[in-house]
Amino acid sequence: MLKSIKEWIAVFMIIGVIMLIGNWIGYDVLPWTALPGIAILIGISLAGLIIHRLLPFQLPSIAYIGIIGLILTIPGMPGSAQIATYTAEVNLLAIATPILAYAGVSIGRSWFDFVQLGWKTIVVGMLVLFGTFLGSAVIAEIILRFQGII
Amino acid sequence: MSENALALWKDWRLHVIVLGIVVITESIGIFKIPLGPGTILLLPMLYAVVIGLALYFTPLINDKQSINAEPLVFLSVSILIAKFGVQAGPALPQIIEAGPALLLQEFGNLGTIFLALPLAVFLGMKRESIGMTHSIGREANLALITDKYGLSSPEGRGVMAMYIFGTVFGSIFIGMISGFLATVTPLHPISFAMATGVGSGSMAAASLGPLIAAFPEMSETLTAFSGVSNLISSVTGLYMSIFVGLPLTVKMYEVLSKNKEKKAMKGSVEYVKKH
Repeated sequence: MLKSIKEWIAVFMIIGVIMLIGNWIGYDVLPWTALPGIAILIGISLAGLIIHRLLPFQLPSIAYIGIIGLILTIPGMPGSAQIATYTAEVNLLAIATPILAYAGVSIGRSWFDFVQLGWKTIVVGMLVLFGTFLGSAVIAEIILRFQGII
Repeated sequence: MSENALALWKDWRLHVIVLGIVVITESIGIFKIPLGPGTILLLPMLYAVVIGLALYFTPLINDKQSINAEPLVFLSVSILIAKFGVQAGPALPQIIEAGPALLLQEFGNLGTIFLALPLAVFLGMKRESIGMTHSIGREANLALITDKYGLSSPEGRGVMAMYIFGTVFGSIFIGMISGFLATVTPLHPISFAMATGVGSGSMAAASLGPLIAAFPEMSETLTAFSGVSNLISSVTGLYMSIFVGLPLTVKMYEVLSKNKEKKAMKGSVEYVKKH
């Protein structure tokens, strides 16, 4: 457990630096301006991963991470405004780019399996993604309109 | 995955390459391609996944980097999820107000069954189509189908095919359609933000990115809704598949394939009559 935590911290520090640099180049936020924000996000992630290990429930670790972040920033929680301000300096797109860079490197290994899929699989696969995404948007739209929110 | 995380941070070659990809792609910035009435947004993250994939075929990346990259995707996604969380807190009153939509749009993930399954059966797929179309086919669904049918069954082959397809092409495809659909359909960007919770972290990032780029003035609200939708999907997604998605797919497959057989029978009977 302790070994894992050390490894997580080391990895998070590397990823954090990459994200700060991307945030700087792409979105003009100086690294030291975004540093407290990324440190908070890393702290929340770490807390979620640790809680996931400690608690017996069958919930994915990202559920804990999301819930911790949410609870910390509920208006009225001590420090919630500061957390929100600091983390706002870390652009979401700057977080996403390294994720997909790592993803790109990791999917290389699946490429040969991918090219062996037939055209039918490709067509059906695209419809699966399309249907899943658009289906949710349509239902959300109907209910939001019904409620008069949008 | 954390057991073999030991060497992860030491894989400097991988981290330097990813840093290089980030520097290059963020310098290129966003491109907007008008397509009819809508716009396809090409974001740095989209170039990043393509460059990362291309580098796999160069001597720069070995299998070792590719293997190490997988848990790193997971760990970097956790930072994204933390970002989702801290955006959601301040928007909590709004989120509670939109609670019914957020919960019910989960059923929209079943849209694949109504759209993709009929096509799969029409194209002549057999029980593979059940594995392929019952869900977006990420890790949890792979586990579910393997558990129920076994990986070498037709259903297992189907879910594996979808898994491979989604792994390689998922974030690229959903990143392209998300911005386009949001600009071309009359649906509100918030509805699309809620739809980004499809059960995959990298696909969530890829689909939310273009929404934020297209509607920067709403970026905080969109991120908050996307975050909560992802949270709900991560908790309920598997159960949704077990109790609703998969049984519905099996039922619909039986109906669809029976209809098809009937039509085929009718066709052959007429053929026999004519000749």
